[in-house]
Amino acid sequence: MNRASKTLAALGAAALLLGVSACGGGSTNAEAESPASASSDKKLTIAFVMGAVGDPFFKAMKVGAEEAAREENVNLEWQGSDTEYSPQTQIPFVDAVLAKKIDGLVLIPTDPDALQPSVAKAKSLNIPVITVDTTVNDRTDVSAFITGDNEDGGAKAADALAAAMKYADGKTYKVAVGSSSATTTTGIGRMKGFESQIAAKYPGIKIVDKAYSQSKPEVANTNVNNWLTKYPDLAGIFAIDGTNATGAASALQAKNLVGKVALIGYDAYKENVDLLKQGIFTAMIAQDPAQEAKLAIKAMVSQIKTGKTGIESEVVIPNVTMTQENLGETEKYTYVE
Amino acid sequence: MTTAPIYEARNISKNYGSVVALQDVSLHVGAGEVLGLVGDNGAGKSTLVKVLSGVHAPEAGQLLLEGVVRQWDSPHDALELGVETLYQDAGLAPHLSVSANVFLGREVVKPGLLGKLGFLAQKDMDTRAHEGLERVGIAVPASKRSVTQLSGGQRQAVAIGRAVSWARKVLILDEPTNHLGARQAAEVLVAIRAAKAKGLGVILISHTLPHVLEVTDRIVVMRLGKVVADAPTSEFSADSLVKTITGVLDARSGG
Amino acid sequence: MDQTALLFLVLVAMVVVFTVINPIFFSSAVFANILQDWGPIVLMATAQTLVIVSGGIDLSVGAALGLSGVVSALAMRELTASGQSAWSAMLLGVLVAGAVGLAVGLVNGVLINRVKLVPFIATLCTMGAALGLSLVLTGGTPVAGGPAGSIQFSSKTYLGMFTVPIIVVTVIVVAAGLYLHKTRFGRWTYAIGSNQFAARGAGINVESHLYKIYALSGLLSGLAGMFVYLRLGSGSASSGVGQELSAIAAAVIGGTSLLGGVGRLAGTVIGAFIITGVLSGLIIIGVQANWQRVVIAALIAVAVGAQGLSNESLRAK
Repeated sequence: MNRASKTLAALGAAALLLGVSACGGGSTNAEAESPASASSDKKLTIAFVMGAVGDPFFKAMKVGAEEAAREENVNLEWQGSDTEYSPQTQIPFVDAVLAKKIDGLVLIPTDPDALQPSVAKAKSLNIPVITVDTTVNDRTDVSAFITGDNEDGGAKAADALAAAMKYADGKTYKVAVGSSSATTTTGIGRMKGFESQIAAKYPGIKIVDKAYSQSKPEVANTNVNNWLTKYPDLAGIFAIDGTNATGAASALQAKNLVGKVALIGYDAYKENVDLLKQGIFTAMIAQDPAQEAKLAIKAMVSQIKTGKTGIESEVVIPNVTMTQENLGETEKYTYVE
Repeated sequence: MTTAPIYEARNISKNYGSVVALQDVSLHVGAGEVLGLVGDNGAGKSTLVKVLSGVHAPEAGQLLLEGVVRQWDSPHDALELGVETLYQDAGLAPHLSVSANVFLGREVVKPGLLGKLGFLAQKDMDTRAHEGLERVGIAVPASKRSVTQLSGGQRQAVAIGRAVSWARKVLILDEPTNHLGARQAAEVLVAIRAAKAKGLGVILISHTLPHVLEVTDRIVVMRLGKVVADAPTSEFSADSLVKTITGVLDARSGG
Repeated sequence: MDQTALLFLVLVAMVVVFTVINPIFFSSAVFANILQDWGPIVLMATAQTLVIVSGGIDLSVGAALGLSGVVSALAMRELTASGQSAWSAMLLGVLVAGAVGLAVGLVNGVLINRVKLVPFIATLCTMGAALGLSLVLTGGTPVAGGPAGSIQFSSKTYLGMFTVPIIVVTVIVVAAGLYLHKTRFGRWTYAIGSNQFAARGAGINVESHLYKIYALSGLLSGLAGMFVYLRLGSGSASSGVGQELSAIAAAVIGGTSLLGGVGRLAGTVIGAFIITGVLSGLIIIGVQANWQRVVIAALIAVAVGAQGLSNESLRAK
């Protein structure tokens, strides 16, 4: 999911609840892939309830899910709110699919606590649950959890940054990290991986500053502007999410420092890939949401048919480092618009 | 000294939903005449003021200014044609200066292009406000002072001074001596006489009957939305006026 | 002591403190950074000052900034894709952003004048609607692909710190100040905020004036949206979220009374400098990110409290 817009979406949801809740119920976005025909071949139906239909991250995921559904010959019910990444908007979709006698539920819990009762409800209906990308706190009733690894992504970002700065032992490199907020779990994971990789492999890299964008690109821009003034010898920036990427990219362009300060981004949104092509991003860490979804569908089919997922209870899909040089083979990881 | 009416209301009726506020009310005031409008709470005085000043449109009846039938779509219309009203307890914008209040809604702008853009001729207004207030007998401090810095009496004096100096034909005063001390109330009565001398038709709404008896030429008494008496002030005593208001004494009409 | 002068001293003291801790603060580069933040905030705070002086409040300025940034970004992307020049795209962007902001303001006007909602609720509704609309239009991702070189154009400085957008903003704010303090429009704005009934009694068409005020507030917020677009080279739904509070804070720090009828735009301008200056200052002196909000909150309390005290002393005279 788009971690950058998490806080934003929550804010939006709150504002919408306050502002326009009187204007009627939210839209549903059910897209049954092939209408359940209740035909004699007893085709399985798997519901996939994700975060926000509009987010390219989930669109990429949908591509993988559809591909797997075709291969396994199952019905896929792709469900979720239009744009809001929040439990308030997600839970009604979960309730709705559970009422339809589906055979399995693939869930991207928008909140580790709030979705716990939904998982319990599925269990009581004997519907197996696999979580993707994020999970619930108590995984007793979850058959498997498939995710991208944020710590691994952070570590890969450190490697990419070191490579971009032509890291050599004995020299000192000042870098800064732009994060979203102190409480965003994905950001914390990425930061942890980034810091421990630096501690382990790059003693010369010094993280001189960290700042939060509060999910606003203009705040991220202010942070980077001031870093660039405060540290004229700043060698690199790790923009941990989309808003920081936007803010840092524009600051480097405004101060004419593109190429002089290494910039590592995260998540292969099309805008980010464009920035990479223009050389404003030095490298970018991409997840593989399609792969996550594909694996989830296959594991679910196996679980329904054999009672076993056939995979580990937690599977980590590795991240990909995209650079201008390897773009030829990595561009396919760009999240579809 | 009553002459042809300068302002007249004919058969005015006004309802608030199913509540009848005014029923077939007629009254008139002549130029240079002070008309007292009295009545108990709920008699319909305030509603009548709002009809006369253009805040409310009546359901039935006519308003005639100098014999011409007029319809007010807003207070602005009435002001434009010389009907000035001082509303009860709501005269001034406290954060503005004395002169800004005197010229509120009638600001003087600078000549030329700046004026077209709405730029104010502030110095001009300061001077003219001071002169205008002095002319009607109101002793007001510097017109640049903010109204917040004035006492309650001074504020009321400014409000009345403003109304008197702007009124060209009719001046309606709704409880102008409310909350005022004896000396300040006397100043208000002086201003009313100044307005009368200026040839204005003055309508004074007041609970303070001694003031009404002292300054008016004629008194209209209202009860429950109707006019129950209309007679020269000389025909009332303090006692008979109270009795007419409360309904102890039967209605009589004259004038 | 004159409140605006007092406030200016607070600003000077702030600059001195930051400079003593880290001399880099006193440089045109840092001032340029501050101005980049000041631009959109002062536009929204100017809007807010007009509205608050009239006795209302406009919670939708931040969301209007976001929505106008997003819509103009979409329009500029279309125009750029059709092969038009960067200049014509940016001109279109300014017009679209202004128009979107204006529309948000007019909706506020309708809700307040026609539906008879109090300004707080009316603008809360438009805030939610505008933010929701931005999300629907963008799916939460930034809209890039507009005119090439917009970032470079908007960040090219003159005298080390003044960019073209900043000069435009300054002209707009000065014009708004003259309009508020020197014209009939401004006089009526104060009168309505001071005593709406008196304003009505004086023949002022209060409804029509409120339409103008909220429309102007929306327009200024829309232009703030274009400012942020030029700075980032993309429009984002999340831009401006929560910034209505910064705008209100700038106005209130500047001495505008939330009760209406009182306020000076010069104070608001300084208030906006204090808010944005402290943001950059805290980064420059290395205060940890989470503490920055605490410091800003404390600063608002101190600035407003100090003015309350000076008001008291004024009354005691």
